[in-house]
Amino acid sequence: MVVKDTKVKLKIDGIEVEADPGQNVLQAALDAGLYIPYLCYYPGMKSFGACRMCLVKVEQPGPDGVMKPLPGAPASCTTPVAEGMVVTTNLKETKDLRKGIMELLISEHPHGCLTCHRIDLCGPSDICLRHVSVNDRCVTCPKNERCELKDTVRYMEMDLDTPLTYNNRNLPLEVKDPLWDMDMNLCIVCGRCVRVCSEIRGDNALTFTSRSGRSLIGTSNGVSLMESGCEFCGACIDVCPTGALVEKDFKWDKPSKIVKSICPHCPVGCELKMEVDKKNRLIRTVGNLEGPANKGQLCFRGKFGLNFVNNKNRITKPLIRVEGELVETTFKDAVIFVSENLKKFSGKQFAALSSPTSTNEDAYVLQKFSRLIMGSNNIDVSSNIASEITDQIYKMTGVPGASGSIWDLENSNSILIVSSNLTEKQNVLGVPIKKAVGNGSKLVVIDQRETEMTRFAEKWLRPKYGTELHLIAGIIKVILDEVLDNHKFIEQYTAGIKDLKKSLWNFDIINVSNLSGVSAEDIRDAARILGNNYPMGILYALELLPPDLRTECTKALVNLSLITGSMGKGLPGIFPLFDGANEQGVKDVGCTTNFLPGYKAIPDEYNINHFQELWDSNLNNTVGVPLTKMKQKISSGEIKALITIGENSTLLNGNDLGIKESLEQLEFLVATDHSNNEVTALADVVFPAAVFSEKSGTFTNIEKRVQLLRPGMIPKDEVVEDWYILSQIAKSMGSTRFEYKSSEDIFTDISNDASVYSDFSYELLDSQGVVWNPNSWSELFSDLEDQKSINKEDILLKFEPINFVGEIASLTTEEFPYLLVQGRVLFDEEISGVELENGRYQSQENPVFDFNSEDASKLGIVEGQKIEIVSQKFRFNGVVGLKSNQQGVVSHKSMFGDLINQLQISKNFQVSKKTDLNLIPIRIEKV
Amino acid sequence: MGNQNIRDEVNKILSSSTDTTVTVLSSLLLVQDEIGYIPNEAVEEIGSFLKTSINEVWGVATFYTNFRFTPPCANVLEVCWGPTCHLKGAPDLISGVLKQLNLEEEGDSQDKGISVRYNTCLGACQQAPVISVNHALRGNVKAFEISNIIDFVADSNS
Repeated sequence: MVVKDTKVKLKIDGIEVEADPGQNVLQAALDAGLYIPYLCYYPGMKSFGACRMCLVKVEQPGPDGVMKPLPGAPASCTTPVAEGMVVTTNLKETKDLRKGIMELLISEHPHGCLTCHRIDLCGPSDICLRHVSVNDRCVTCPKNERCELKDTVRYMEMDLDTPLTYNNRNLPLEVKDPLWDMDMNLCIVCGRCVRVCSEIRGDNALTFTSRSGRSLIGTSNGVSLMESGCEFCGACIDVCPTGALVEKDFKWDKPSKIVKSICPHCPVGCELKMEVDKKNRLIRTVGNLEGPANKGQLCFRGKFGLNFVNNKNRITKPLIRVEGELVETTFKDAVIFVSENLKKFSGKQFAALSSPTSTNEDAYVLQKFSRLIMGSNNIDVSSNIASEITDQIYKMTGVPGASGSIWDLENSNSILIVSSNLTEKQNVLGVPIKKAVGNGSKLVVIDQRETEMTRFAEKWLRPKYGTELHLIAGIIKVILDEVLDNHKFIEQYTAGIKDLKKSLWNFDIINVSNLSGVSAEDIRDAARILGNNYPMGILYALELLPPDLRTECTKALVNLSLITGSMGKGLPGIFPLFDGANEQGVKDVGCTTNFLPGYKAIPDEYNINHFQELWDSNLNNTVGVPLTKMKQKISSGEIKALITIGENSTLLNGNDLGIKESLEQLEFLVATDHSNNEVTALADVVFPAAVFSEKSGTFTNIEKRVQLLRPGMIPKDEVVEDWYILSQIAKSMGSTRFEYKSSEDIFTDISNDASVYSDFSYELLDSQGVVWNPNSWSELFSDLEDQKSINKEDILLKFEPINFVGEIASLTTEEFPYLLVQGRVLFDEEISGVELENGRYQSQENPVFDFNSEDASKLGIVEGQKIEIVSQKFRFNGVVGLKSNQQGVVSHKSMFGDLINQLQISKNFQVSKKTDLNLIPIRIEKV
Repeated sequence: MGNQNIRDEVNKILSSSTDTTVTVLSSLLLVQDEIGYIPNEAVEEIGSFLKTSINEVWGVATFYTNFRFTPPCANVLEVCWGPTCHLKGAPDLISGVLKQLNLEEEGDSQDKGISVRYNTCLGACQQAPVISVNHALRGNVKAFEISNIIDFVADSNS
């Protein structure tokens, strides 16, 4: 990207304004704090010039230097700034022109809310006195009092004492889709929704229908959104200036306050504006355009999935187990009860689990509590089931997590996604990726499943289960063999390339091809795409891989990133896709078995002494038990007491760690949670914990950006934040090192203890979230920029040889010889099916299970035949298809709309709700 | 879902295109030329053929009034309402046609025998007013001839 420093100087209404070249006049004016009315323009999107609301008068010096007016009244959103330009926005002439256009616009829009003489007289609870016909009343519009069109009209000071006659379109309301209502009688066809859907989200789920005066917004032939390729991100709702598009839930409610916070659903860390009403309910969320991680975008979970905070069944009082029953008690008694009981345990007998939605402050206090008071390093995050994917990056690059930042992906020329379903799990990461692909970046996807991203892929490789490592190594081999690597980068900034090359010495692409079922030509093509298109971004969750393979696979991917030289400042780099919203931060502040805050490793004399001095106490210098081994240690009786905070349902989430069963064997279990679940049912003490919308604290997102959560809702009854509960218990156990009055106090401690956060304070974070990188990295980056060679001993970026893991245990057994591969796509004309039930669209399950034709003939089944799919846990009826390309694999696709439908019916959008697309061993039975 | 035969036919039409640049519009025109209308399946197939969304295709298709989304009737009757024809009596012809076929505006007759379309110019202004019956022009049409013409067309069909 070429950055020009030169600014363009122009005058708007007599005020000197500096603008970037290429900006338009409207942007320049808005940046300078001047307002010109607009309706179709929206920050972050290309200008459209449809509404003609931003008309201005412009004078511009010609080639001879003489000022010349631009003809007519140009729209400021489509007029690029030029040096010496003089813009006048408030001439009576242009104002009148705008008023005229606005009159035409609202001649098709009900405007009782503008012309009624009682506008300023009606109080919030007044009954409408029938000055306006029933269907035009201001109270019949869901956007009443928060309507951009109305605000614009009012700004224009139009003379609307006499109602204009207007043409009511008399169109029926569209309320059949989930989550979303559409009233085309209120649409002004500004096209923001259509443009945000295609330009920003890359979905094209909406379009303009028909032409000229009849033109409106809709889908192809009026099909349901569930069939039109919609990902239910709600971006169209957020940009709509009228009441035409609105959320179904809390449709009519108005916020009494709007507070910025961070979404707790995934590690992208989207900044959202929470709208809270007078009844202390979170009624709506809107993506914050200034949010550095999401730039105003949200996903189906962040937009529609936060209603759980309003749940009436939330725990509001502390509970302790008396004679087998949980009974309400006071906070004080519960604290005393816990501290009395915890005194019986120490060291290895104790374990602590924070949750992926714990703030850095909660997690910091938890690990401090565990280390300082209990003397135990058995600390982990309850979502940390695949820590391999981050650990290995740390070893090779010194960065404990993603090396790039989210929007650098937009500038990548190639992207590799390995075994990730990011559309559902880290949705907003897909936004820069789709944008990059739209701008010509090449996407390679390695995944057995068909997901939304495969639709955008230049190359989609479907290796057999457990052969991903070989495939990635094959790609590295081809890049090295065909000299597509970045020698200069490797030479100057990395070490160990020889070891890597040695480990691939007698590695053969033909073998890889035979093993993985991917043709050698495809492997070479993929390697050439990635090798030739620098820089490359890599995203991987490795969710379908067996755990033993994840470490090596991560190693291979870091190697791949390094040989192309894609790591560094402003480069996309590598993204391990974990699930938890604050998993990064929780680890940063020391909620891990082998690191003190700020990645100070243990066992290590120097580090432990440093913290012993800091905390004035003796600390345990041995590595603790991680989550994945906790079940075993609980069962064997080594761990006897456990504190688990925050969102406990993650513990039980789809992972087969068997923790839940082992919890019953604990002698003492303390849980803090917002709602009842299987963990709280087993706990001896339950504390009511605050949810994200009630917390103040910080989250650290996937790109290591520390962002501030601000409390929007007031906690009910005895609901408090986790850190408060823990510090009260600590105090009651006699410690004086937990005297925290606010989360800001804790953050001061964090920035003292955890060196990676040392530059941060709430004051700094209040304006915008900030990315941290290890100090050594900042130096490396500056060296990279200066093109200086760095000292060989300081080299941080290390290649590691790849060890090929032996035989991977097959998932299939004799009883279940086939592997069911589940895909989920936004759009597929062949499988989509929607029916109307009780006035709502219900999606139909797709019954087609695709077989490889050889498998089909072996099984003696033909296309269209009815069969039954049987796994250990379920039975499905289905129909045979023949589109699977691999032997032994049965593939099945479902629609994203199905998922939304199911989620809406079950109302289960909780943070923990995971929607995994796993590989399932199955057998086939004929019907 | 939808009719697989139509899908196959549409795909055949799309892949047989000899145009140097294939766009949504060119594909829609091809399909309408071959099948006579744009079936829903064609919208989907064009979408996947050109790697764009169905909504985009629909947006283009509905923008042009020339595209129709239901099978055309056996006969097409076009009435020119260009300026010349208008002055020479086209309004009478239009009202005559609509009255005869019991229609409010251009569209298909109830028995699906005749599609009526207004045409901006049939290119034979010297013989205005002009109509075209199944793409064959008839000049200097008088209002009283309309019922005969329509009867003739309807008969030829049955």
